[in-house]
Amino acid sequence: MWFFPGKSGFAMAESSRRQFLSAGLLLPVAAATSRLNLLQSSSAVGKALASPSAAPKLDYRVLGKTGLKVTTVGFGCMITSDPSVIARAVDLGINFFDTARTYQQGNNERMVGTALGAKRKQIVLSSKSHSLDKASLLKDLDTSLSELKTDYLDIWYLHAKSKPEEIHDDMIEAQQIALQQGKIRFRGVSTHFGQQTLAPWIVQKGVFDVVLTAYNFTMDASMNQAIESLSKAGIGIVGMKVMAGGFRGSGHGMPATPQMQREGAMLSALKWVLNKPYVDTTIPSMTDMDQLDENLRAMAETFSPADGKVLTAHLEAIRPLYCRMCGECDGACAHELPIADMLRILTYADGYRQFGLARERFRELSPHQIAVRCADCAECTVKCPHGVHVADRLTRAQDLFA
Amino acid sequence: MRWFVHMLCFYCAASIAGAQNYLDCHLVPGWEQAGAPRSYTPDNLYDYRDGAAEGYLIFGFTHMRGIDCKHGASTLSIDVSEMADADSAWGMFAANRDPKLPVAPLGMGGQVLPQSLLFARGRSFVEIVETDGDSAANQSAAIQAFATKMLPLLDGRETPPEPVQWFSAESRTSVRLVPQSVLGLRVLRRGYVASYEQGQAFIVSEDSSEAASAVMKKLREHFSTASPVQISDEAFQGKVSYLDGICIFRKGHFVAGYTNLPDATQAASLAAQLATHIPAN
Repeated sequence: MWFFPGKSGFAMAESSRRQFLSAGLLLPVAAATSRLNLLQSSSAVGKALASPSAAPKLDYRVLGKTGLKVTTVGFGCMITSDPSVIARAVDLGINFFDTARTYQQGNNERMVGTALGAKRKQIVLSSKSHSLDKASLLKDLDTSLSELKTDYLDIWYLHAKSKPEEIHDDMIEAQQIALQQGKIRFRGVSTHFGQQTLAPWIVQKGVFDVVLTAYNFTMDASMNQAIESLSKAGIGIVGMKVMAGGFRGSGHGMPATPQMQREGAMLSALKWVLNKPYVDTTIPSMTDMDQLDENLRAMAETFSPADGKVLTAHLEAIRPLYCRMCGECDGACAHELPIADMLRILTYADGYRQFGLARERFRELSPHQIAVRCADCAECTVKCPHGVHVADRLTRAQDLFA
Repeated sequence: MRWFVHMLCFYCAASIAGAQNYLDCHLVPGWEQAGAPRSYTPDNLYDYRDGAAEGYLIFGFTHMRGIDCKHGASTLSIDVSEMADADSAWGMFAANRDPKLPVAPLGMGGQVLPQSLLFARGRSFVEIVETDGDSAANQSAAIQAFATKMLPLLDGRETPPEPVQWFSAESRTSVRLVPQSVLGLRVLRRGYVASYEQGQAFIVSEDSSEAASAVMKKLREHFSTASPVQISDEAFQGKVSYLDGICIFRKGHFVAGYTNLPDATQAASLAAQLATHIPAN
């Protein structure tokens, strides 16, 4: 593992950060060579499962002010069921692994600990706790260390926070105690939504080293700004949900589009995230060797126009879902529904996955507006110039929240 | 036609009533419902299980209903998740239980902890957790009472998936359903894995013998240094990267075997024993 102490508490200037990256390139080459030797020796015993013909090209970035030098493609262990995939990922050079106390009630941490074994010291290891008070958090940490068979975590996250109010002082104190005890090296927060509110607070608070955030090509520009602001403050950025939930669906009540089910579409989505200079690493979930090999390619290939085309096709397919807030529909509803507001509320749930907030906002509408059912109208009087299917979207909002 | 509609309405009402009555705080005297019932689908499960929803989705989660029950200062959260099928519900239970603790005889399997309880029956995966509590009041008896009352109100199978019984119980540390990529190999789409103090065994069911043969062909290509061995319809053994000593065989439409053993001969010996427990068809 390569550790470069940064100027703790200070943002690293972009230019010096690039120099930092350039300066560190020699080490990975040496490491990759030794891994190649390792692979070659193991192939004498039996052909490695689905192994690439040569050692993969690895790409490294520095994780913000932590100074940790990590592969841009890390490994999200959440749904991995077989330790062999993790063991092979380490041998191939991936050096960033993530799990959490709550994944399968701790069984995931146990499996990761077994898979890493003696290789633990070669990699950067992170885990998380959902607990809400100091004592429970510290108890979780001790359990994580025991299950992962290690005496320290490189990064320990307060898990799944979406607003500043969810992060209490005693949680921060728990991380501080763990840091002082040498049980963790860096403090993190993980977040699936609410980044626009959370990011400025995290920067202002100044106690967190790493933010693990949901981030993918389906998100809008305000997300880019939120994440970039964290990066500029020297906070390491780890991207998760980089494949937009594996394209099982768009998360908008729609099935996955055929464009996204094509071979290579996931790789395009991963490359899109890695194309953002303010993202330091990613933790795509991997369940098998094929997925591992495909994800490794994201470090060797740049985001191309062909990748862009795949992702644009998917975005085009979900275009009827997004309101551009142009105001063209103001006053157009025969029942005086605030169309743009209601579409925005639905976006809280579908776009940002803030279902609770969406329901709360919906219930702040007038009783008349809450009572209206678009399905009762024979024909919708609202025609969106951008192609948003207004009646369908409002019906979904009424079904979900009314 | 009208009688049909009435019958349909009656059936629907009865179904709804039946489906709802297992979520009732009054199942155990002294407990009252706190707040409104909750309901989640794959679209919004993240709102409730933020950071852990994926663990449900991989087992074919379709929806969840839940309530909070209060007694004095204690609150129990009771959630019932419906999974794709009974095997998946059992898989969810097996993935979330602590393998170091015993399985309780609740439905297809249950686990009782001081402040929580899990069990699965049919397509339902049930979680009862003390979320708020008076540390002096031990609610484990109430948690178990809820589970006992709920169990007969749920529908479906009460025995674990059949292949689970085919694994040897000797020195077994856990048994689970892997919902995708058994052994980390995409070709083995979904199956059961039993871990032992040394090594692990797996069983994958394909749609037909032909499909299982096709899987074996791909596996032989992967493990090109492995050599044939005589077990059931076809088999091979070898020592390979990451899985050490392996032996994989096909019996009818099942592909199964042992891995992670010190040598291939030992894997073959155990695989041969496993084969005798797997039915021919």
